[in-house]
Amino acid sequence: MREPEGVGNTSRSGAPASLLDRLASLQLVVVTGKGGVGKTLVSATLGRLLASSGRSVLLMEIDPRESLHHLLDVAPSGGEIVPAAPGLFLQNLLPRQVLDELVRERLKVGVLARRVLASPIYQHFAEGAPGLKETGVLGRALRLVEGHGPRALRRPDVVILDAPATGHGVSLLQAPSLVADVVRSGPVGHLARQIAAFVADRQRTGIIIVTSAEEMPVQETVELIRGLDSILELRPEMVIANALYPPFSAAARTAGKSPALELWRHRRRINDTQLARLEREWNGPVARVPLLPIDGGPQLLKAAESQLRSALHGPAAENG
Amino acid sequence: MLPDRLTIVVGAGGVGKTTIAAALGVGAAHAGRNALVMTFDPSLRLKDALGVDDAARGLEVEVPVDAPGSLSAGLLDARSTFDRLVHRYAPDQESRDRILGNRFYTHLAGSLAGVLEYMAVERLFEAAADPRYDTIVLDTPPTRQALDFLAAPERILGFLSSGALRIALKPWFDKDGHLRPTARLGRLGRSAEAFLDHLVGLDLLRDMAEFFQAFGPLYEGFRQRAQQVQDLLRAPGTGFVLVSGTEPLRAPDTMFFARRLEEAGHHLRQVVVNRVHPRGTDVEQVDHPYDDRDGRSLLAWLGRRDHRVAAELRSLLGEGMPLIEIPLLAEEPTELSSLERVARHLFGSRKKDHAG
Repeated sequence: MREPEGVGNTSRSGAPASLLDRLASLQLVVVTGKGGVGKTLVSATLGRLLASSGRSVLLMEIDPRESLHHLLDVAPSGGEIVPAAPGLFLQNLLPRQVLDELVRERLKVGVLARRVLASPIYQHFAEGAPGLKETGVLGRALRLVEGHGPRALRRPDVVILDAPATGHGVSLLQAPSLVADVVRSGPVGHLARQIAAFVADRQRTGIIIVTSAEEMPVQETVELIRGLDSILELRPEMVIANALYPPFSAAARTAGKSPALELWRHRRRINDTQLARLEREWNGPVARVPLLPIDGGPQLLKAAESQLRSALHGPAAENG
Repeated sequence: MLPDRLTIVVGAGGVGKTTIAAALGVGAAHAGRNALVMTFDPSLRLKDALGVDDAARGLEVEVPVDAPGSLSAGLLDARSTFDRLVHRYAPDQESRDRILGNRFYTHLAGSLAGVLEYMAVERLFEAAADPRYDTIVLDTPPTRQALDFLAAPERILGFLSSGALRIALKPWFDKDGHLRPTARLGRLGRSAEAFLDHLVGLDLLRDMAEFFQAFGPLYEGFRQRAQQVQDLLRAPGTGFVLVSGTEPLRAPDTMFFARRLEEAGHHLRQVVVNRVHPRGTDVEQVDHPYDDRDGRSLLAWLGRRDHRVAAELRSLLGEGMPLIEIPLLAEEPTELSSLERVARHLFGSRKKDHAG
């Protein structure tokens, strides 16, 4: 198997590389987490950071109601690859379209492809079969980093997938092996096995879990880490604890009592309790990002970038 | 405002649907109702608060509340509901076992797109016929877009509508409806099905063919049931509660879903803006410039933002639609006492204070 570029300097060299170096060596970074915790902001921020470290990055979104472009201050993708900054591209995908394109690409002969696409079995499956669309999306990422992209972006170094909030992150990452289990033979089975191997390859694919430091999101994060380990033997690169209240300061402690001070103290205590729990349950890196008083758009992205940059200069999780 | 006999809580992921659903049940019990809350895998502590655990999957357990009414809670599980439906609609034991033992069914039945949503409304339908409950609250699974939930029953039915598939899979059966031996399934020439056969392999198509063949006799029962479920979702006694967050991008999402609900003939009863930061307290009187180390500065900003978004929603929704703001609590709503607090906000201030 071909070793992707940049892997040699992240491991086997003794000193642990920084998280940013580690992420820059990957070909696919899946950003996952419960709804509303800030996955899209983290995806865009990572995209900026990796692009400014010299990688060519494609941000992949799977949401008919696009939102990444707001942060990057570009036009919505509408399915097209949109350049957002030097080395940074954006694409919003419709999973069904990805599957259809995969069929066209694999079958080459137009008549056959049209027949398959028109067949009721295919149509039923493309819409309803579990894992098929997810496998298609991950397969698209694989095709791109292997240099089979469209003219607009022949070969990104790394694809960052802003994972949809549906269900657990495990089901997205498990999809290719589920499809490979059910479709045991034929080119589809073969393709699914290739995609499953890509996702399972620690030198190529990394997972980042975003959470807020609150009860339910941390609960889901802990369950996701366990599920990734027990079902897929995967380990996330890092957890990003987003939207933290500022630490309750010594000055605030002596400022007397007021509803605002009380709320601040309580919310921060929830953050502290949940951060402590996260650190008990997960022995990898946790980056802390404060709640930022910015409504959205490029300003928010810029602020998040400076917050995350320092966190990513810390050491990477141990491989193993 | 008391919930409808059937109340469905909808909203985008992460806005607090499960909390609002649980609080509606708690509040209904305090108002003297016999309430049932059905939810998907909530956090462990909320499960503790409601007294449900994995052993209660597919069953209902009674939650001890100090209230004139009663509260029960159930965890929804797609696979066990699907199995139960197969048991109900299979004409005989043989066809039932053929489905339950089919590899396609065992691999896929729990995870087909839309199955969870379909099974949720199916459970709602079962519970609606249960005389023990006069208020039933259904939490809905997280979906990419909140409205996926409503389209799911039709999607899953489309998938199961074996008519088209049985025709497509015909070459795999002989005249008596028995599966043909593997070797040659007739000469399909260059048809797309032959190619699919090459593409995904024969054994999958055989499993599938067998599944849809076995499912045939059940289909009519499923279809009728799905129609009844659809009618129930639009019935006068069924109301929707739409939960929204306070981030600026949430408002258009919430409006979009509110419109879709009404267009589809559902009854939207109220919009709940959850986790609203306080305003009008000393938070507002922070007069120094923004200080990112001072939580009060942040709270002041969040308070202004949340009220701006709530006001925007209120004006977009218009006079006729009740909009309730639930303040951000100092604690997380994972205990019965905090659920009671949320319930008091939901049900209006006339409710007696039970926490004292």
